[in-house]
Amino acid sequence: MENIKSYIESGILELYVLGDLSMQEMAEVEQMAQLHPEIKAELAEIEKAMNNIANSLTVKPDLKVKAGFFNSISFSDEEEVGAAKAESNEGAKVIMMNSRKLNFYKFSLAACLALLLVSILAIINLNNNLKASKQQIAELQNSNQNFANKVNYLDQRVSSSEQALNVLSNPDYKMVKLNGTPNSPNSKLVIAFNAKEKKVILDLHNMDMPTNDEAHQYQLWALVDGKPVDLGLFDASDSKNAFVKDMKSIGVAQAFAVTLEPRGGSVNPTLDKMMVMGAI
Amino acid sequence: MIKTKKIFLEEAELIAAMQQRKKIGADALYEMYSGSLMGIVSRVISDTEIAQDVLQEALVKIWNSIQQYDASKGRLFTWMVNVTRNLAIDKVRSKDFRNHSKNQDLENHVNTIDELRNSVYKPELLGVKDLLEKLKPEQKIIVDMIYFKGYTHVEVADELAIPLGTVKTRLRMGIIELRKYFK
Repeated sequence: MENIKSYIESGILELYVLGDLSMQEMAEVEQMAQLHPEIKAELAEIEKAMNNIANSLTVKPDLKVKAGFFNSISFSDEEEVGAAKAESNEGAKVIMMNSRKLNFYKFSLAACLALLLVSILAIINLNNNLKASKQQIAELQNSNQNFANKVNYLDQRVSSSEQALNVLSNPDYKMVKLNGTPNSPNSKLVIAFNAKEKKVILDLHNMDMPTNDEAHQYQLWALVDGKPVDLGLFDASDSKNAFVKDMKSIGVAQAFAVTLEPRGGSVNPTLDKMMVMGAI
Repeated sequence: MIKTKKIFLEEAELIAAMQQRKKIGADALYEMYSGSLMGIVSRVISDTEIAQDVLQEALVKIWNSIQQYDASKGRLFTWMVNVTRNLAIDKVRSKDFRNHSKNQDLENHVNTIDELRNSVYKPELLGVKDLLEKLKPEQKIIVDMIYFKGYTHVEVADELAIPLGTVKTRLRMGIIELRKYFK
């Protein structure tokens, strides 16, 4: 007992409370406190005194210290609600996390599906627009083609008319009227003949000939010194496209005649199929 | 205990809350102890700004190293005071602090320590000053050097050129004297 008293009175317990002992000395004090309740009680008294001194020194720090402290540390119960609960109830925590994950996936799936639907609708819409555009282009091309055809046709007509006008206004042309033979009494045809330029032009506009079939064609002949000379082929339907038609050249002729020949023409005229004829 | 605006936890509850890193532990730590720990720091560092920085640092250190606290070795508050005091003393002894505040070199001014203390005392601490005044001068200087200046008892013995045993008994007598005023 004497030993314990002098141990207490040595002041080592105060140094222990103030944290001013080596590890070895601290271990010794702790061992002594375990063995002797008096020492333990004295330690508690010293602690109380030191704490009282400290408490009497209280100075309230600025609020920024609190903010700085709280900003520098992290809490277990801020992200996960009830971390302490989870410790005693692991199962519940796991279920909660799973359902949270599940919810996340549900939302993700829903979002993906919605996005897919919107995308499909957008694609359908675009596709429809594309089809409509293509159709419009086809229509435009078609009408453009029609227009070009019409222009071509008119162009032909205009050049043909010009040619006809040239023929009519040129005094070098002689108009030769070919009248119907007994084969076709109502037929008639006018030919413009320019001996100077060796030109023979058929007046399609005023032509009056029976329509020929696919197997036959009309053939124009010139009679030169009693011999027939081929001047080219034509159809009754040629009048649809032009006013006049250039035939083969010839500089001298006494008469013109038209026979109906097999398509492609003949070397010699089939005289019994002579439709019209006329002398200069 | 009465639940006022301040959060109050029993020591065991507070330790558990801090160990589990619950927010209420930090709240209680701050509400219950920031004032008295600030008092400790203020005794060591007169500059309020620096003292508050050190207090914040101490609170963070207490929070982060609570796992090292061993309840069988003493009260939580005692451990916190020691953590805080050591930080404050380290700060005062750091080169950075001396350059910054041009504080007196404490180790070379032991004899003028009373005057230094007087100049640093704050009005709200007058009670303690009075309390320390009740001690015999030879007790007061040792309590002051060890408790507030962070001297080890070995350093005090060296500095004052007195035997180690004498330092220890004077410290004990001084603290026993103070204990009377808190009865």
